[in-house]
Amino acid sequence: MLSRVAGGLFWMSRYVERAETVARLLDAGRRINAIPSSPEVRAAEWASIIVASGCRETFPKPLEEADQRSVAQHLIFDESNPSSIRMCLYQARTNARAMRTAVTADAWEAINESWIAMRAKAPEHITGGEFAPFLDWAKGQAQKFRGAIDDTLLRDSGYNFTRLGQYVERADATARLLDVKYHVLLPADAEVGGVVDEGQWVQILRAAGALRAYRHVYRASVTPDRVVHYLVLNGMCPRSLRYCSAMVLRQLDELRTRLGQSHAAHTRAGEMFARLQDLEIAEVFTDGLHEFLTGRIEENNRLAVDIAAGYGFGPAEAALQEQLQED
Amino acid sequence: MYSEMNNADGLRPEYHAVAEWIEQVGPQVLMERRGEAEALFRRVGITFAVYGEGGDPDRLIPFDIVPRVFSAREWARIEQGSIQRTKALNAFLTDIYTEGAILKDGIVPEAEVRNNKAYAPIMEGMRPPGGIFSHVTGVDLVRCGQDEFYVLEDNCRTPSGISYVLENREVMLRMFPQLFADGLIRPVDTYADMLATAMEEVAPPHCDRDPRLAILTPGHFNSAYYEHSFLADQMGIDLVEGQDLFVEDGRLWMRTIRGPSRVDVLYRRIDDAFLDPKAFRPDSMLGVPGLMEIYKQGGVTIVNAPGAGVADDKSIYIHVPEMIRYYLGEEAILPNVPTYRCADPDQCAHVLANIGDLVVKEVHGSGGYGMIIGPAATDAECAAYAKRIEADPAGFIAQPTLKLSTAPTLSESGLVERHVDLRPYVISGKRTRLIPGGLTRVALREGSLVVNSSQGGGVKDTWVLSR
Repeated sequence: MLSRVAGGLFWMSRYVERAETVARLLDAGRRINAIPSSPEVRAAEWASIIVASGCRETFPKPLEEADQRSVAQHLIFDESNPSSIRMCLYQARTNARAMRTAVTADAWEAINESWIAMRAKAPEHITGGEFAPFLDWAKGQAQKFRGAIDDTLLRDSGYNFTRLGQYVERADATARLLDVKYHVLLPADAEVGGVVDEGQWVQILRAAGALRAYRHVYRASVTPDRVVHYLVLNGMCPRSLRYCSAMVLRQLDELRTRLGQSHAAHTRAGEMFARLQDLEIAEVFTDGLHEFLTGRIEENNRLAVDIAAGYGFGPAEAALQEQLQED
Repeated sequence: MYSEMNNADGLRPEYHAVAEWIEQVGPQVLMERRGEAEALFRRVGITFAVYGEGGDPDRLIPFDIVPRVFSAREWARIEQGSIQRTKALNAFLTDIYTEGAILKDGIVPEAEVRNNKAYAPIMEGMRPPGGIFSHVTGVDLVRCGQDEFYVLEDNCRTPSGISYVLENREVMLRMFPQLFADGLIRPVDTYADMLATAMEEVAPPHCDRDPRLAILTPGHFNSAYYEHSFLADQMGIDLVEGQDLFVEDGRLWMRTIRGPSRVDVLYRRIDDAFLDPKAFRPDSMLGVPGLMEIYKQGGVTIVNAPGAGVADDKSIYIHVPEMIRYYLGEEAILPNVPTYRCADPDQCAHVLANIGDLVVKEVHGSGGYGMIIGPAATDAECAAYAKRIEADPAGFIAQPTLKLSTAPTLSESGLVERHVDLRPYVISGKRTRLIPGGLTRVALREGSLVVNSSQGGGVKDTWVLSR
């Protein structure tokens, strides 16, 4: 397999996953927005979505002026934001098109249709009661694509790179979603651990599509400890950092077997997984949740760089991705 | 005007199945099905990209749902004529880059060859494996009567359009399976195998294993990218870009996740000028530095060979019937369109005096641009064009305005007659052969003779009957 193709598959998956993440973040924002609150807190809630999505620098307004309309515009439609849902689908589709022979017709048609439908959407189509259905639609597109990949792609190296992109991106997404809670302010009269606080944790779980699973697993009320345990350490949760780490490691192991080569990425991924396996929930909070999550996001980025370097889609690939964004 | 479906006595026999089908289904339903076909093309991504003109950059070539039909007898002649022509063109190319016998014998003027923009001095002395320069040759044909076919031009560089031939058939098979049920229509899906086989046959002489093939594309922003990926997919070979390739130890390699992997035969879909910045345009980012050097040493085979374009230039075109006589000792089965060369003063005077009746083209032009169709032009347009000819007579040729045949075509107002042409794709390896079919292009505007997709042309499925 050409290194360029491996890189294209990796990024194609990342962008599809990112489109879903952005939809989930907006869903969290939408839900938190429904909790009674004051205007300043309301703005901070939407600002937190921008910060958690990593789009603070591209957001065109001062953060304190963030509201549903401007945040949705920036995270869904803005062409100057490479992480907007529109641009994610565009880039996923462009990568798929460039790697057309390495993806199946089903997977290509899924992403191509998503892009064609997304291109036809405008902000006025998703106001009011149309907002939540749109977010569901966006999540559904990512799921349809992954389903097509899972059902039809040959189980060769290409499949491994597709899955690598997916889980590297998902680990990043889960860390960011949890981090929303750090950025959201509690109203002045609300207490930590109070009704509002708990309500916000519930919405984080909902956005991760995990509320019912949480109740099923813990059979207990929602507490910060347990939510963090579920989304970081619980190996059964398909979005937890630990699960993502295990999946990344599995893909890398398969590639090592197939190609008979080992790279720095293998070592790093192995270490990352071992640490998550041994971690106690209290340790996550020792230096603060936000600091812990920031550390994981940075580590995950370094892993992505190692993967690209090991399989020869390093700097040239970064240049290609830039070129895609300029087009 | 020759109608392909009807003659004076009514329906031609080869169109019975089509006519019956249209009768049964009705134009209204056909219009609806055409919409479905378009949605299908778009979903699969069979688009060609047009940048810089605004609008949707991924355009569909309009697909006309009414097939164009050739009887077995008609096809036999087209097939033999196209093969004959392609053999002569390859013999000519090998000759002019090595011995130059046809030039020494004064059959083709040496200056016209050596001064041609597509002539590649770097190829001098080079005899590619099998003596093949043009492995894929598009022979553009028009028809003016029952047995009256003319070759409009040859395409020896990298003719495109084959993906439409195969996909048009796929769509028809999918939407109207009943049409194909009796096995009367010859299948076209052997193209990829045929091309892969030919590529293997022209592998470098000292290739010591099953040759590894690849297709070189300029990338996914190229208008024909869909076709490049389609072919790579059909042939099961790698689709590479210049950045994936490098030259080392006299061989061509591609960068893979395992490390370098050797390529033996490269079907390049980029122009000569961009192939190798060391040999041609130094600013090319699309090619592979050093490719030409190892090609000439026999480290890799390039398909089609660099410098093949000289054979399809309009100034060389007029000599093809003589080439056929010279190399094959045969008369051309498919004649040229009578052509006036404005480089010749007498012929130029004739062209200027009769510009209103002629089609005048730039010698080096293509794609339907820069030409004038006398009968369709105003006096002022003719006068302006005449000035251009006078300024550079050698830059122009002229041909009579052919009454191109028409084929039934679906329009908003039902079935109408529209002008068509045909491009069969001839493949040359150890053998020279072609699939039973080709690209039928149709001028969708009423009365228009220009079938190019950039100028409002569409495409049709092309049927060759087995009897």
